[in-house]
Amino acid sequence: MKNILKINNLSKNFGNVSAVNNVNLEVEVGSIHSVIGPNGAGKSTFFNMISGVLPPSSGKVYYKNNDITGFESYKLPHMGIAKCFQITNVFPKLSVRENVWSSVFSCAQKSKFDFFKPLSNFKYVAEETEKIISDVGLSHKINDKAEELSHGQQRMLEMAITLGAKPELLLLDEPTQGLAPEATLEMTKLIQKLSKKYTILLIEHKMHIVMEISKVITVLNFGEVIDEGTPSEVKESKKVQDAYLGRG
Amino acid sequence: MTFLILSQILNGLGLGMLYALVGVGLTLILGVLNIPNFAHGVLYALGAYFAYSIAKMTGSFYFAIFLSPLLVVLVGFLLESQGVRRLYQAHHDYQLLFLFACALIIQEIIIIIWGPIGFSLLPPPSLSGALDLGILIYPKYRLVLICFAFFMIICLYLFLTKTNLGAILRAGIENRDMVKVLGINVNIVFLYTFGLGAYLAGLAGALSAPIMGLTPSMGLDILPICFVVVVIAGLGSIPGAIVAGILIGLSQGAATIWFPEATNVVIYLMMGLTIIFRPQGLFGVR
Amino acid sequence: MNKYTITCLIIFILLGPFLFPNATITEMLIFGIVAISTNIMLGYTGMLSFGQALFFGTSAYISGLILLAGFPIFLAIPIATLGSFLISLFVGYFCVKREGLYFICLTFAFNQMFYFIAYVWTEVTGGEDGLVGITRPEFIDTQFSFYVFISILFLTSLYLMYKIITSPLGLIFKLIRENPSRAEAIGYNVRFFKLVSFSIASTFTGLAGSLYVLIHSMVPIDQIHWLKSGDIIFMTLFGGVGNFLGPLIGVVGYIWLSDTFSIIWARWPLIMGVIFAIIVLYFRGGVSELLENLVKKCQFYFKKNKDEKYIKN
Repeated sequence: MKNILKINNLSKNFGNVSAVNNVNLEVEVGSIHSVIGPNGAGKSTFFNMISGVLPPSSGKVYYKNNDITGFESYKLPHMGIAKCFQITNVFPKLSVRENVWSSVFSCAQKSKFDFFKPLSNFKYVAEETEKIISDVGLSHKINDKAEELSHGQQRMLEMAITLGAKPELLLLDEPTQGLAPEATLEMTKLIQKLSKKYTILLIEHKMHIVMEISKVITVLNFGEVIDEGTPSEVKESKKVQDAYLGRG
Repeated sequence: MTFLILSQILNGLGLGMLYALVGVGLTLILGVLNIPNFAHGVLYALGAYFAYSIAKMTGSFYFAIFLSPLLVVLVGFLLESQGVRRLYQAHHDYQLLFLFACALIIQEIIIIIWGPIGFSLLPPPSLSGALDLGILIYPKYRLVLICFAFFMIICLYLFLTKTNLGAILRAGIENRDMVKVLGINVNIVFLYTFGLGAYLAGLAGALSAPIMGLTPSMGLDILPICFVVVVIAGLGSIPGAIVAGILIGLSQGAATIWFPEATNVVIYLMMGLTIIFRPQGLFGVR
Repeated sequence: MNKYTITCLIIFILLGPFLFPNATITEMLIFGIVAISTNIMLGYTGMLSFGQALFFGTSAYISGLILLAGFPIFLAIPIATLGSFLISLFVGYFCVKREGLYFICLTFAFNQMFYFIAYVWTEVTGGEDGLVGITRPEFIDTQFSFYVFISILFLTSLYLMYKIITSPLGLIFKLIRENPSRAEAIGYNVRFFKLVSFSIASTFTGLAGSLYVLIHSMVPIDQIHWLKSGDIIFMTLFGGVGNFLGPLIGVVGYIWLSDTFSIIWARWPLIMGVIFAIIVLYFRGGVSELLENLVKKCQFYFKKNKDEKYIKN
């Protein structure tokens, strides 16, 4: 299967306002597919429709050729889709370990009775948790409360929680939001490392990251797709330049 | 026979107007401050008790009805500024619990000041007696109550739709964060909203005194009814609260005619039906 | 729960009957179950309900009626508890659909609905006068045997609830408290788990209610009134929602205070309201957090003294 995610004519209307209008998009398996666009282009609305937060007004979303349009967000991780929030969204008073453990357990638990067994029963969950935490470089903080971490570390924890679901498709909503240049670089390197294992749909603002790591870029403006192509194609595209410079 | 039915319906309407007033007050606080005001019942009771004392001291019923709700507003301001506001940073559950604690305290203070036995408050001579309406003879006070309550609701409607503060309140119910972003002093808005809610509760309490008398438990008794009004109306809907309040009052009036034992159960029956068949309430948005 | 707290609990259970009259200590254990189970909803899952008295009272009525009909207590308790469980599924389903605010209003309204059913259905519940004339079964007729019976059920309930809290289910409850949208995003059906939490809290509260009827051989109607729900929240908060056994401290404190003060002053609920307000404003961690801080200060003080002595030598 070439395209793990297929989006057909996806639209979202709020009353008379069309936030997203007939967006078509296909994400190739194993690639990093970025979605960019000026402020207000509809990126967040689009993202929320795919990740189960907003029901679409019309259109379809297919994952591995299965129709997942309008599925509630709690169903998606079990199918292999995990998402990372734009605003850091961790469990503040729980430890780093508990934060990631819960995500791993969610998709790893095998029977209904697992919910009642003692926490120590789940060796495979604990091992996977420690591995993911070390992958994002937070092993030294594993027992600290999430709220005690720095902003950059919390973004990494955010990513670790997302990875806990052992997904195949990662939906990343501005993962470098609010990060200093050093942390941004770390996150970018991590995303590139992840793309070797996962397919990534990336919403991002920072152009240089998008240009550097994406295979395909879709450009939105006013809720519609105005162009799509490889980074070099998009860089040269007059339509895209117009949109960003306000001439669109 | 029709005389009886008609007078019970009017009784129900009067009761419904009172429920509408308290219900709107609770809805305002619920909608703007996002807190179920557990002290709403004792504010209603304070309205009645203040009116009783003022009427006794000054001999003027009208002055009592005028002043009493304003005193309740002061109590409301006290509650909001000293407790609710301080807990804004904490989880808003704590604001609710603070108001509940205050309800317990005020409830006891009422008994300490006014005693554990109830009173009656007679309407002034100008409002006593009955009016001959042709089809029936009906107590003057109750008629005036219905008209006055209706008048207050119109005033409230005008306030909410025609004034700046009213518009801010309505906006606050819709989207509190947006109001903050617009640079409006949220503390003042919350204070005034709570005060307005308290005013409506106190007014309803004062108006109810000649009809229902004063008992120390009146605050505790009215609170569940306020919540049922809000549940049936739909969260944050002011027209809903008015309609729901009147509906509940009318249903109780009707029940008095045919099933007198069921006057209270009727309220909960309506609530149950609403929750099952229209969970967002009559006017609520899904 | 570490060894220290378990030891304190055991000591409390052993010494309790000598510190308090039989009716008081058994009431403390019964409400201990209520408060600790309510805390599963409140402290662990972050759901504030004003409807716990609904389950406590209804279960007490069911249990009382079964006993009055002549059936054994070993039938009354399970059936009453099962009744609470089924009602919690029904009530909970409608309540958890909406967010925290509406949830509170709905639990409150449902509570009063059941109160009025109890008030009006006098043939079954005795109305305002309550259900009376229930006799304690012979095997628990003495003070000692009754206390042992209640203690066993108390410890069993605590054990079960502790097992739940330390299982993945307990962790999921905490996730919902901390960040419900994130919990949803990592794959948990939050509405379903909220219902589970609600049901567990309500069922154990119901179990306690089914036992309550045995203390005074009656069910007063105020046990199903919304004010009782408020009392339950007070006990839980007063004790401390931050840990498992905290609420038990609140129960002991509340019952002891109310028994002591209600004799001295009829207006004692005023004091309770003031304590409640102070806890909400300044001591949201409850008594158990105060104790924890005290213990930490003492440990620090003793350690400092030890270090100083060591340095001096």
